[in-house]
Amino acid sequence: MSGNEYEFTIKRKDDHGKVSYSDYSVPKDRISTVFEGLLYIKENLDQTLSMRYSCTMEICGSCAVEVNGKPKMACSTIASSLKTDKIRVEPIRHFDVIKDLVVDLDSFFDKYRKGLPYIIREDYGDYSSELLQTPEQFQKYEQYSMCIKCGLCMAACPIVGTDEDYLGPASLTAVLRYNLDSRDEGGKYRLEAIGTEEGTSRCHYAGECSEVCPKGVDPSSAIQKLRWQVFKHEISGLIRGRRK
Amino acid sequence: MSEQSISDFTRIETDVLIIGAGGAGLRAAIEASDNGAKVVVLSKSLLGKAHTVMAEGGVAASLGNVDSKDNWGIHFADTVVEGVHLGDWRLAEINAKEAPDRIYELEKYGAMFDRTPDGRILQRAFGAHTYRRLCHVGDKTGLEMIRTLEDQVLHRDIKVHDETVVTKIFKKDGRAVGALAFEMRTGKFMAIKSKAVILATGGGGRLFKVTSNSWESTGDGFALAFDAGATLMDMEMVQFHPTGMVYPPGVRGMLVTEGVRGEGGILLNSKGERFMKTYSPNKMELDARDVVARSIYNEIQEGRGTEHGGVYLQIHHKGAKFILDKLPGMHSQFLEFAGVDITKENMEVAPTTHYYMGGIKIDPEDNQTTLPGLFACGEAATGLHGANRLGGNSLIDLLVFGRRTGQSAAKYTKDAQPADVSENDIIEEISRVTGFLNKPSAVNPYELINELRDTMSKYAGIRRTEENLTTALDILLKIKGRYSEIGVAGNVRFNPGLIACFELHSLLTTGELLLRGAIQRKESRGAHFRSDYPKMSEEFKRNITWHMEGNEVKSSFSTMPELPPEMVKIVGQVEGHTQ
Repeated sequence: MSGNEYEFTIKRKDDHGKVSYSDYSVPKDRISTVFEGLLYIKENLDQTLSMRYSCTMEICGSCAVEVNGKPKMACSTIASSLKTDKIRVEPIRHFDVIKDLVVDLDSFFDKYRKGLPYIIREDYGDYSSELLQTPEQFQKYEQYSMCIKCGLCMAACPIVGTDEDYLGPASLTAVLRYNLDSRDEGGKYRLEAIGTEEGTSRCHYAGECSEVCPKGVDPSSAIQKLRWQVFKHEISGLIRGRRK
Repeated sequence: MSEQSISDFTRIETDVLIIGAGGAGLRAAIEASDNGAKVVVLSKSLLGKAHTVMAEGGVAASLGNVDSKDNWGIHFADTVVEGVHLGDWRLAEINAKEAPDRIYELEKYGAMFDRTPDGRILQRAFGAHTYRRLCHVGDKTGLEMIRTLEDQVLHRDIKVHDETVVTKIFKKDGRAVGALAFEMRTGKFMAIKSKAVILATGGGGRLFKVTSNSWESTGDGFALAFDAGATLMDMEMVQFHPTGMVYPPGVRGMLVTEGVRGEGGILLNSKGERFMKTYSPNKMELDARDVVARSIYNEIQEGRGTEHGGVYLQIHHKGAKFILDKLPGMHSQFLEFAGVDITKENMEVAPTTHYYMGGIKIDPEDNQTTLPGLFACGEAATGLHGANRLGGNSLIDLLVFGRRTGQSAAKYTKDAQPADVSENDIIEEISRVTGFLNKPSAVNPYELINELRDTMSKYAGIRRTEENLTTALDILLKIKGRYSEIGVAGNVRFNPGLIACFELHSLLTTGELLLRGAIQRKESRGAHFRSDYPKMSEEFKRNITWHMEGNEVKSSFSTMPELPPEMVKIVGQVEGHTQ
């Protein structure tokens, strides 16, 4: 902690799939965040370093990486807060690596879409006024709407790691966000879309997702609430079935 | 050398090609698709990560939910007056008239908004808007807009290629007929043949060192349009947002939403004086952005700044509960990045490069540029905001003109025949791209980009003079002279250095026109402040336009249509009490 430089070790993967580690020294007075460290390396030491970034203010969700073994947003991880001069940066787990720190997020976005993340109604009315929603109704789903689709929860979740079909925390949280929205009438379609083996029943409530979420969304509690919705939906389905 | 052959490319055919997947591009894609056109969207970043997500404070529309007296006329007048009569009044009229419908539509797509107690969309005050007009959700309005539009795009039949870089617009018989691009993930080139091309590429904040813009905002669309022969306009008009973070250095420039002032935040200098009393006794902190930015700049210049070179922005007097409810993003932004708790402490802020009012010149009726078949919308286009943009008018611009552009491009494709781009033209462009790879003793593009950014920040910021601007132009032209020397190692696949080569070209084009325009405009108007010509001049109530003739950069003056008498009356209502 006393030196003038951070020692970055970055996991690389080249076009032929060869994995290696590269070491770089970055002057402490030139950076404050891990992202800035990566940018310093790219601009000054090694232009071939591939990484994703965009807003660098923790709102676009592009720069998810593993820092010293923990899934984090590079842009909002203050280097000095790591309490060590050695900073190891690797791609997040549970995704295929395209190159260096860049992972293939297609599976994540596909799972997200499976939960029908948009308002579904019989009648949307015309565009001359809004659909009414009181502040109390808004607050019911507000927390679950904060997701920036960064993928950290997917990287932290032990089930995602062992079962590639599991929809995962972000997707299930989006389902709850729309199901709790007073303007929406599509809950049953969503519950049917996710009420399968790949849905809520897989979650073991390890809670890692909520711990790493940079936006305080708490996917773990969302999945618990959603599991209850799935249960009620299934019961009512059984009752309807018996009446037939 | 690159492992792939230059004749290895995919041909794609579509009706409408949209370059850019921020708010404007996505809204255009939805509309073009709904109007029966086949649509392909190309995006430099991942889908859903565009710069629009960084918009915080709100989107302007005269719903009148909070101030029932508001109407489109007042919104129109505010836009024209604060644009210091440099903008196209017709664009301002369309924007103000169509804004409410676009908000209701977005809401029905599923966007969430903060609400009034009776369940209507809540609206907050913002600088130089006569009434409380900004629809918002906390301080993450842009994120919610992108998320909503993205979901709409995804359940339509629209093909999105993200992480794809466009290097050239193809032309044939004087119209735009497609583009060349490469996909970062695979390193594969694509030649897209389309009947119409829409540029929705945003602005170029990254031309400056201190900016609120995302790393993608490098003026790509300006350069693509300009290289294709389209006309650009008002390039000297760059908005400096009054409040960006100043400390620690890594976050310098990061946006501090105008919503802080809209919700009652006040600005103080190091002596604890509320200095806006001196500069703007009536509107105070909620005057137009150019006025507030210059006032802050002046306080710092005259030695009344904070230790890190800013001024104080105070909101803690409103209480912790209010702040956590209205400005949760700001609270965590300052806590995480600066270790400052804004419910107890002051923020340190200074102006930051925020928005290009200038850009690609368009026809207000259909958003077509001067090059047939090429359309532009959002920040890439120009004319709505004049010399100064009102907060919230950019987000509504994306919805109103994104939709109109999608509509008119789809209509255009009904009569336009697709034109083939020759294999030679495609291969020539591909070899230009691969030509940057593995050159012996090449210059690092980042080195030139950083030199350019330092130059622009030092000489062409808030306060401009002939001498500084000329110095900057000299340095820029020297950097431009070295452009052919740049190069990077590696191949086309996910190679950030290669993208930097194209970004440098975009930044050079943007910077050159900005400086040349700023030198020509010998007056101060809106965001353009010349300390050697501090007054506004009637002679310059006109626009400076730019186009390429052969290899030469040509400028000319053009004048906007005069306000018709019925519009003069509407504008008079607002102008009467601002002067």
